[in-house]
Amino acid sequence: MTACLRLRDISVEFPIYSVGSRSLKKVLFNTTTQGNLARDARDRITVQALNGVSLDIEHGDRLAIIGANGAGKSTLLKVLAGIYVPTHGRIYAEGRVSALLTDSVGLNPEATGRENIITRGMYIDVHPRDMRAHVEEIAAFTGLGYYIDMPVRTYSSGMMVRLCFAVATSIRPEILIMDEWLAAGDAAFLSKARQRMEEFLGGTNILVLASHSLPLLEEWCNRAVLLEQGRVIAAGSLADVVARYSRGRS
Amino acid sequence: MAFIASSEVEQQTAVGWPAAPSRAVLAWRDLAAGWHRRWMWRALALQDIKLRYRGSILGPFWLTISTLVMVIGIGAIYAQLFQVDAKTYVPYFALGLIVWQLLSSTITEGCEIFLRAESVIQQVPMPFSVHAYRCVCRNFLVLAHNLAIVPIGLALFEIPVRWSVLTIFPAFVLLAVNGLWISILLGLVSTRFRDVPPIVASFLQVVFFMTPVLWPVESLGGWRPVATFNPLFAAIDVVRAPLLGVPTAESSWIVLILMTIIGCAVSFAFFARLRTRIAYWL
Repeated sequence: MTACLRLRDISVEFPIYSVGSRSLKKVLFNTTTQGNLARDARDRITVQALNGVSLDIEHGDRLAIIGANGAGKSTLLKVLAGIYVPTHGRIYAEGRVSALLTDSVGLNPEATGRENIITRGMYIDVHPRDMRAHVEEIAAFTGLGYYIDMPVRTYSSGMMVRLCFAVATSIRPEILIMDEWLAAGDAAFLSKARQRMEEFLGGTNILVLASHSLPLLEEWCNRAVLLEQGRVIAAGSLADVVARYSRGRS
Repeated sequence: MAFIASSEVEQQTAVGWPAAPSRAVLAWRDLAAGWHRRWMWRALALQDIKLRYRGSILGPFWLTISTLVMVIGIGAIYAQLFQVDAKTYVPYFALGLIVWQLLSSTITEGCEIFLRAESVIQQVPMPFSVHAYRCVCRNFLVLAHNLAIVPIGLALFEIPVRWSVLTIFPAFVLLAVNGLWISILLGLVSTRFRDVPPIVASFLQVVFFMTPVLWPVESLGGWRPVATFNPLFAAIDVVRAPLLGVPTAESSWIVLILMTIIGCAVSFAFFARLRTRIAYWL
């Protein structure tokens, strides 16, 4: 099966609730007293995180998402991963999606690395007995050594990256979505990760990666889109979009 | 390098090119997908309990011990207060308390199902109903630990075991379904309005004293409707009465079934409408 991701006119609006409008008591009070006593219950700012994004990502694409902070990169990744249902527009996805979006990733700090591998596997639909058979190989890939049996709260963020990456790629997803924290891994791990990616990306799968690190993107990606304030202002080969980004900054 | 085969991860987005399914269909699919992942929430519920009691000697049986202590301590004194025979009051109170603990903790934990799962909801697409199933399963596992002492208690107090005891099984099924709709509804409301969990907790504290757990139903006399129309009393009665070998109040099953049907309908309507907003509210 060939993977693809198609977006048409995607918009995402976030409601930002003030403390008052998060309170049921204040909201009810507001309705019954005609507004004056609990005015802050009506406070609700809407942030347009993505505005009319249309994109076609086909198999074999390794897409980089570039943009300044707050441009909407993480929001776009979450829409692609199926976490946010867009407030407007449509998205079509084919293929199994595995997303690595931030380093906390539902890890249970009190449980050991081994237990978290099983739990993390459960969240991506792998039964514990299937996961148990592969825990050793995953543990070996992470290179964490005896830390695998220690509670995850003792890990550094780099170690968590290794653990989450190992689990997320063990299910052989057709679509892999990653946010920029991958850079927390050290150079040795990054080259190991790159190797694994080469193995299964093999031409029929999709990688979507958001990062600020242009060298990292140059190594991993072949296409790019540039986001600014929620809109796609450039799309094409990595070199072209990077050039546009650099021009825009200078 | 090992690669594991697994089932398809269901896309939560409004797939359907060109026509997207209706919200009700998507909500139904969410519930069905959650049910399909039984192994997942059973394992997660077990893990929740293991982690809660990690490092303690007795593990989850601490719950059983603490219930026993409460029953013995309060049971003896209140039997005297209400001028009833301790032999009838203590099992009445014990069973009522066990079921009350199930109901109250399902309701209070139900408020938090999406709030507690915030990091998972923001990272991994998964049916939302999994969190509700997990909460209900976890609370029933706790109930199972508490029920372990019931056969011993029944023997001790020489309570006859009749065939009507078997009605507790359909009763538990109904209680589980109620737990589900309450978790989903309260979970949704609590994610949007963050002061709901403490409101619910205070409300339950008051309702505890208005429900026939501490005090016998008979002492209500003419005020009997206070208990009859209390859905929590109905829920407790359908479990407690058969175990005590006394007839269940006729109203209890009716109230319980009505509550289940209406609750499920209302909760499903909210779920269908607001399911996609949960990630935005967190």
